[in-house]
Amino acid sequence: MSATLTERYISATIRSLPAESQEDVRAELAASIADAVEARTEQGEDPEAAEREVLTGLGDPAVLAAGYADRPLHLLGPRHYLTWRRLLILLLWIVPACAFVGVGLSQALIGADGGTIIGQAISTALTAAVHVAFWTTLVFVILERTGADTAETWSVEDLPEPKESGTGRADLIASLVFLGLVLAALGWDRLIGLVRVEGDWLPVLHPGLWPLWTLLLVAIVLAEMVHAIVLHARGRWNTGLAVANTVLALLFAGWALALFANDLLLSPELLELARTVGDIDAQSMHTLGVILVVSILAVAAWDVVDGWLKTLRDRRR
Amino acid sequence: MVWGMSDAVDTHLQELRRGTVVLACLQLLREPGYGYALLERLDSHGLPTDANTLYPLLRRLEKQGFLTSEWNTEESRPRKFYSTSADGIRLAETLQQEWRALTESLSSLTEPDPAHEES
Repeated sequence: MSATLTERYISATIRSLPAESQEDVRAELAASIADAVEARTEQGEDPEAAEREVLTGLGDPAVLAAGYADRPLHLLGPRHYLTWRRLLILLLWIVPACAFVGVGLSQALIGADGGTIIGQAISTALTAAVHVAFWTTLVFVILERTGADTAETWSVEDLPEPKESGTGRADLIASLVFLGLVLAALGWDRLIGLVRVEGDWLPVLHPGLWPLWTLLLVAIVLAEMVHAIVLHARGRWNTGLAVANTVLALLFAGWALALFANDLLLSPELLELARTVGDIDAQSMHTLGVILVVSILAVAAWDVVDGWLKTLRDRRR
Repeated sequence: MVWGMSDAVDTHLQELRRGTVVLACLQLLREPGYGYALLERLDSHGLPTDANTLYPLLRRLEKQGFLTSEWNTEESRPRKFYSTSADGIRLAETLQQEWRALTESLSSLTEPDPAHEES
């Protein structure tokens, strides 16, 4: 004979309880259910229907078991939720980005082609994000179940300071001085040369850049200056300034990468000297090239993201 | 219309009633009783409680020392009888006192305040 509904219900309830309390709960629950069924049949109800009604009234055995075992019916409760969220957001900002750059860099250094570099870097960053989310959550679920305390208590010192978005006078002066130095360096490099090797001044940039490419760079730098001045005048970032900032950053990165890819960025004399005098082999030159390209991309990416973050922050002010 | 939002009203009523089940059990179990009979008695006193709330609650109170239990095998089916312990009676008195104080405080909110009128 197959087990009755009541037996099945009780077994399902006590299955997840500690062994020492299982038999006690079984006996008590059996008596309680029998009492309830009996009360209904005494009113003339059909015994089978009465049993169904009583068990339905008791609800999901898993919920009842959680009540008996004093277990939470949620994955993460309010005690740990905010700590979990803060930590997860922080880690998701850091870890996948590091994985992306690290893998991209190592792929580039072993000479992989562009598609492989980007594909590997993206897939590793995604895997890292999934791992970070899973393991962080698992740790907090265990903390929740073991009743441990993360000892994070809030105080007024934790209130966020209003963040500056770099539109003050000092920021303007810093920007203009830096951009002015870039222009001076360009002129100096063109006329005299920035590097002194064995008593001779050598230019760093390729002489073939003059005049068209050099003037293009000067135009980008001047546009950056205008951007800095407008930003200071407005006193806050807006979408237009962020778009302009993005375009300028991409223009500069495009300028540098296009020239570098065609061996037109750095002066051939300087590279030749590095090879002969500096005794740098082809492999090392390749590595240095990769580092240069990654730096250009990273600076551009940071500049773009920074502009948009400040725009968002100023919009909330 | 307020009473149209019966979900919200139900939630508030539930929250107000939540703590009263413990007090009611401690008071009723000054005389020993078993699960189903307690459920019936709560119901007849106008405090209907779900079986799946009451049964785990009895065990929790026993574990905390506010109830004691004993198996009674003399009748047709063996039943676990609970009764309020000395600690449980003290807890019941504290809770009852708090309930009275709350009732007074809440009533005073809608009564004219004599102290306020004097000043």
